[in-house]
Amino acid sequence: MKKSYGPNGETEIYADLHFQLLRGTFVALVGPIGSGKTTMLNMFAGLERPTSGNIIVMGQDITQMEPDAMAAFRARTMGLVPQVQTLIPELTVQENVELPLHFAKVDNETRERKVDQVLERIGVRGEAGRVVSTLSVGERQMVSFARALVNDPPILLLDEPTEALDPLMSEIILGILRGDNMTLGRTIFVTTHDKRVTDLARRTLRVRKKIP
Amino acid sequence: MSRGFSVREGQLLARSLKVTRSTHLLVASVAAAVASNATLAMQFIGLNGQLIMAGIIFICLALGTSAISSEIFSRSSQTISNLRSIGASSRSLSSAVMMSVLGYGLAGSALGALVGVALGFALGGASGANSLLIEVLVVLLASSAASAMGVSMGGRAAWRS
Repeated sequence: MKKSYGPNGETEIYADLHFQLLRGTFVALVGPIGSGKTTMLNMFAGLERPTSGNIIVMGQDITQMEPDAMAAFRARTMGLVPQVQTLIPELTVQENVELPLHFAKVDNETRERKVDQVLERIGVRGEAGRVVSTLSVGERQMVSFARALVNDPPILLLDEPTEALDPLMSEIILGILRGDNMTLGRTIFVTTHDKRVTDLARRTLRVRKKIP
Repeated sequence: MSRGFSVREGQLLARSLKVTRSTHLLVASVAAAVASNATLAMQFIGLNGQLIMAGIIFICLALGTSAISSEIFSRSSQTISNLRSIGASSRSLSSAVMMSVLGYGLAGSALGALVGVALGFALGGASGANSLLIEVLVVLLASSAASAMGVSMGGRAAWRS
């Protein structure tokens, strides 16, 4: 696939990108800031389209999907932890975490159970009733992680997940990534500068060049 | 087990899109103003005039609610993009706005219609009880249809942009 920006495609991000991620793999993408790591992750999440070429996820060509079909596919198959916080600041922790379950049309009882479980697992159950705007950056990142995991997605896409976390929070996240990949076979694609994350990954992809 | 769009989902999305008490008040007061005037006028005019009034209610409220919903969607474009990244469909988002606008629009219209009826009585309106009931129903139907169409138009404009 090819990805470029600008009215005439003059800023080329990826000229000829071709690779396959196997189900259940754990891949870390590393490279300098501004090298297009987030762009690649966003394309896998269907948030950006490649300029040409195709992205096949679980047998479906996501580059051909209409926005609503892509949103529904994402709700069923992907958990996304973006680098920039995308939680809704007006809602509580619990409400933010339950949102993806609403979009995936999960019933009330299952929704409550799953939200409880994931908040407990991430260690933020005590904060369930707090409004997100009152949380620290690290706490928000943990909630973002809980929101990505709540629907047990087969694919987890994470953009610098440990960047804003203290050592204890990082350990919790790294433990969950390792455990979910090993025992549940969750496919994990993560952009990172953190050596602890690349040490966990089964494969590391390196983007060398910074985009001019 | 799966289910469709729920009230809880609508409430969460409406709060996410910052559909606040001020928005509710704006929708309800516009609807009340249009409905009270229309109901009052209907008591003093013939059938043709009443049909024209129903048309006026429809056009005014459709334009008003379209502008309000378009404003909601455009001021929350970043939130919408965040919600879509976790699976929100344009239908869910439109339904959340529709739920708020329809609910408060209808409440405002009902209140406005009552005020219109009371004013009609006070000013010696010619409608009998049955005619009054029909006039109020026409006002409520026209305002609900207009609100639904307005939100839908506002949503479509927002998705296009």
